[in-house]
Amino acid sequence: MNKVLRRRARLWLRRAWALTVKEYIQLFRDTILVVFIAYAFTLDVYVAGVGVNWQLNNAELGVHDADKSTASREVAGRFRAPFFKNLGSVDAPETGIRLLDEGRLMVVLDFPPDFGADVLRGRQTSVQMQVDTANSAIGSLATSYAEQIVGRYGLERALGVQELDVDKIHGVPFLIDETRAWYNQNQEDSWFMALAELISNMTLLAILLPAAALAREKERGTVEQLMVSPLSPVQILAPKILAMGSVILAGLAAGVLGVVVGLFHVPVRGSLLLFFGVSALYIMFTAGIGLLIATIARNLAQVGMLTVLVFAPMIFLSGAWTPPEAMPSWMRFIMGCLPMHYMLDAAFGILLKGLGPAGLWRELLGIVGLGAPILGLSLWRFSRQFK
Amino acid sequence: MNLIRVAALAQKEWREILRDRLFFALSFIVPALLMLLFGYGLSLDVENIPFAIQDLDRTPQSRDYAYRFIHSRYFRFQGYVTDESQAGELLSQGRARAVIVIGQGFGRELAANRPAHVQTLLDGTFPYRTQVTKGYITAINTALTRELLAAYMVREKGLSPARAQDAVDPVRLEVRYLYNQGLKSSWGVASKLIMALLLMCPPFLTALGVVREKESGAIYNIYASNATRAEFLIGKLNPYFCIAFINALVLWAMACFLFGAPFKGSATAFLFATVLYVLCSTGIGLLISVLVKSQIAAMIVTAVVTAMPSMLYSGLLTPVSSMNWTARGVAAVFPAMYYGRIIEFCFLKGLGWAYVWGDMLILAGYGAALFAVGYSMFHKRVAA
Repeated sequence: MNKVLRRRARLWLRRAWALTVKEYIQLFRDTILVVFIAYAFTLDVYVAGVGVNWQLNNAELGVHDADKSTASREVAGRFRAPFFKNLGSVDAPETGIRLLDEGRLMVVLDFPPDFGADVLRGRQTSVQMQVDTANSAIGSLATSYAEQIVGRYGLERALGVQELDVDKIHGVPFLIDETRAWYNQNQEDSWFMALAELISNMTLLAILLPAAALAREKERGTVEQLMVSPLSPVQILAPKILAMGSVILAGLAAGVLGVVVGLFHVPVRGSLLLFFGVSALYIMFTAGIGLLIATIARNLAQVGMLTVLVFAPMIFLSGAWTPPEAMPSWMRFIMGCLPMHYMLDAAFGILLKGLGPAGLWRELLGIVGLGAPILGLSLWRFSRQFK
Repeated sequence: MNLIRVAALAQKEWREILRDRLFFALSFIVPALLMLLFGYGLSLDVENIPFAIQDLDRTPQSRDYAYRFIHSRYFRFQGYVTDESQAGELLSQGRARAVIVIGQGFGRELAANRPAHVQTLLDGTFPYRTQVTKGYITAINTALTRELLAAYMVREKGLSPARAQDAVDPVRLEVRYLYNQGLKSSWGVASKLIMALLLMCPPFLTALGVVREKESGAIYNIYASNATRAEFLIGKLNPYFCIAFINALVLWAMACFLFGAPFKGSATAFLFATVLYVLCSTGIGLLISVLVKSQIAAMIVTAVVTAMPSMLYSGLLTPVSSMNWTARGVAAVFPAMYYGRIIEFCFLKGLGWAYVWGDMLILAGYGAALFAVGYSMFHKRVAA
């Protein structure tokens, strides 16, 4: 009895393996496809990490100084690198507006004629700042830094010191704030960008590759061949997930070890094994989404449109690019239904925060709890379609 | 170029699209639905930051300080924590993005005219959010310091309250937000989404156009026909261009009327630029379709080449000007950046032809180049 069972199991696995090998061969024969998969996991991640910047970086600044006093020069001089780049003076307010319109300046400071005199006399004065907020993220950062600069200047004037040195303040009530950014002390954008891009690309491929592989069989009619072969639906679908998933996982490993850790020096504070384990789980269940798409679509063109419909919200609303806290509640509900949201938290949690399996129960629950029903549904639909 | 043959090819393509009802429906539903989702969801506003307080002082002063954060609309209070490990747990699980630690002796030091210490622990995983959060905290702290100093000057130096107020806050910053007065990210995002979605969806429409016929063998009908290469490509592109252009108009209407993005610029300039941009984005899909050998490859290449860059390198989330040269290079390769500038001029800045013609020229050149490459790479003769 036991022997029979074991023989059957071996046969089952051998058949599934044969199909897996077929998927590998098919995938690797498509050179352009392989090149782009490799690109998505390495070069693309590198460019995103090195190039895309969320900080206020050399914002072009123009100064219209109607005062030309020491005080106005002092304040304007504090708007400097790395946040601002002073491009010199602007002769009239209208010129400033024109340069802002043309996008050649981002910020224009406007000092009133009696600015310096007022500061000396201890009377409150003001400086006008015009800021291009067409991009609200960078616009609000520019405003925030400008307020910090002017606020600091004001406190220094009030205390009558040249430079605000918290160790030298005595005898006045004063708030000394010490800020520490955990997990990414130097606030490297590359750490965040590279990981977010990597996981986005992983999600994209994990949906699209299995979806396309199955839809192609449907379109060409080779799926009929598979149906009349002695293979169960699981045996047909599992090899696709296994073949595509292992390629994606290999790409992920190259991206993490080569780019994220190798080039950007992201500290691996948790276990890499755990990270790849969670990723494998995630890829498997995300592939389920792809297979579900393939059971709905009749041809690859439909797969294309359906995938856009699924992956675009998945990637851009999962909280990678937008702070989840600010979203309306219904949007946060949608976010809670996106497996990638949990994968991101898990990836940042393991790599940057050093979380172990115990701290990841919510993420694991999200990945498995959302993924398993979808994978089950796609299996069910697939087996029903070809009875 | 024989226009009758082009029309015939376009008609064949139209019929194929119309017969695939799911595809046809999706080609309109997908961009509109994504606009709806992203328009509401893709917000970079940092608000409702969950935070916790560790109050080691427990005096009226420290409680007063804590309430400044609890009552701020930028923060959402998650409760008090008692020790650092609890704070660490909240931060590592993402249940708090900031923990404010009020040092011991906070109230006593301030009452005795001495500096008091507070510490802020921030979750640094997403640097942008961290920086904005830090800005809010600094603003609240500076405001409190000013009040303390003013009260001190009134008390110890005998200044009048008004003079003290002037003394602690000698220079005020009056900020004027240009082009987006309410600093609403939905305005900026909605108008820029037209650009991103028109780079994301139309290439998928066309990506399979040529390669599908290659894979199914139907391309041999074209090889054997007297239609020229240019006629074939233009006929192919025609229906997809029309669909994408209708989508562009729908997206524009949604941005204006649903999200209230102000359209102040020249409508003709915008329309003209949109035609060029849609030609470019459908052209990218068609070019990919000509270059690759299988439909799967066409889809993966399209996804990698257009989906991520349309959001990342287009200036939608972060402006191109603050990228470094590598990413700027990537941005310059895609038409989105140029069209994004045109959108900015036409929507938020309310400017017309004089400002946009340069970018329009680039788009026209881009479209022509795409077509030229596609033309030269597409052969009617089967390679031996």
